[in-house]
Amino acid sequence: GVFAHLEMLEVQAREAALKQEEMKQQEEKLAWLKARVQELKLQRDELQAKVDLQQKAQLGKEGVVSDLAQPSARAVLEWKIKSVKAMLEVFYLTGISGKLTKEGVCFCISTAYEGTYLDSYYLHLLIKPEVQICRHSVPVFIPLEQIAKKYLQTDIRRFLSVLSNHLNAYAGRRYQADQLQEHFSDQIEGTLQRNSLCNLLVFNYNMSSKSKTFPFNVRLLYGDLCCSLPTKVTISCTPDAPASLAETAAAHSDLFSRVALHKAFRSFAGAEES
Amino acid sequence: MDNSIFQVYEDEIQSLEEEIKLLTEKYEDSQQESTFFSDEEILMSIKSFQREFQGESKGHQSPSGLIAQLESLEADLSFLMKFTGIRFTSHFKKTVEKTRNRTVRKHRLSGNCYSLSFQLEFQLLEMQNKENVSAAITDLSITVESGEDPGMSKFVSSTEEHGNLLTFFRSLSSYAEWYEHRRYTFLHFK
Repeated sequence: GVFAHLEMLEVQAREAALKQEEMKQQEEKLAWLKARVQELKLQRDELQAKVDLQQKAQLGKEGVVSDLAQPSARAVLEWKIKSVKAMLEVFYLTGISGKLTKEGVCFCISTAYEGTYLDSYYLHLLIKPEVQICRHSVPVFIPLEQIAKKYLQTDIRRFLSVLSNHLNAYAGRRYQADQLQEHFSDQIEGTLQRNSLCNLLVFNYNMSSKSKTFPFNVRLLYGDLCCSLPTKVTISCTPDAPASLAETAAAHSDLFSRVALHKAFRSFAGAEES
Repeated sequence: MDNSIFQVYEDEIQSLEEEIKLLTEKYEDSQQESTFFSDEEILMSIKSFQREFQGESKGHQSPSGLIAQLESLEADLSFLMKFTGIRFTSHFKKTVEKTRNRTVRKHRLSGNCYSLSFQLEFQLLEMQNKENVSAAITDLSITVESGEDPGMSKFVSSTEEHGNLLTFFRSLSSYAEWYEHRRYTFLHFK
């Protein structure tokens, strides 16, 4: 009746009001977003102009008075701080860096394979009552205790040097195996097996002869833990493989003991293309 | 009004904020790299800062905080140079490329390791991928003052070819120690 009708009108009015409120909020939000974009664009353009001016000044194209015409003491100090930090970063590239702590030193040993920097490892050393390792991130399969026992008390530099050799060789072996898996997976048959120290690798790869492919099984043993080349290479092929492949296997065996694994495979790809 | 129009503006805001961050870093890098203050200027600034601080202690990073930070960093650097025997006498760097994920900087370094002096130039490429930053050296050029040693020049050219900066420093360190030891031995027998 009338009441029901009135109720319905009431509900409709409420809903209309809510919708209007919602629309108003959305319009406000849109206006805010538009204004923000304009604000940021202005900021961006100002910065871009500043950077362009810097470039011109550096090329000597315009005689521009630099911002730092009269640098504040704070600005000078901040410059120096950044400058020293940059120098410390360079030490990272040399392989041994670190910082002094209250109780001793925290060394950082960086590893690299040729020009590519890999993982770095930390060693927190205490110097009193005697030199000891308080904390470290050296993996368990690196003979840290052995190396420490031999050198830590008498020659810290030598200790770090030997440890760095182990870590860099490990990082190099791992890098080669990773590169092989990443770039030459189509030539690898099955999975590449390796231990955590990456000093034992076993895998199969395919060699083709007269449009038939034969798998070679390779076992690489890296007997010298400070070296990233194997000390023993064993390659075997299946009995039905032709004799010429046996020669190839011998050649590859020699190659793997002299050349990094991924580089050796790169040279195969090159040879096959020719 | 549907949400997609908000998304368009929000995406643009995010992209502008990233651009601004990048431009700010470029500007600051360029300022840093084209400025140079001598040790005297640094000392004067420290003194003037200490005077300021004695007068008042309001404001952001306390001056003594900055000075303490500088002293701590210089202590670390001094320790490393003494410990490794590698002393850098000058370092110039220039950012040649900077995008969101990739920074390329050219470095020029000179220094000595015990009595052997060296000069280096290289490009350092740093790339930001999902979890970490990767670093790689290219265009490595090395000059070592070592006079007559043919083994050294062979080592240097092989190192340059492969961008082996880390190996260069590790080997330089042991070679320089040995060279120094040999020099003392000769002098002793003269």
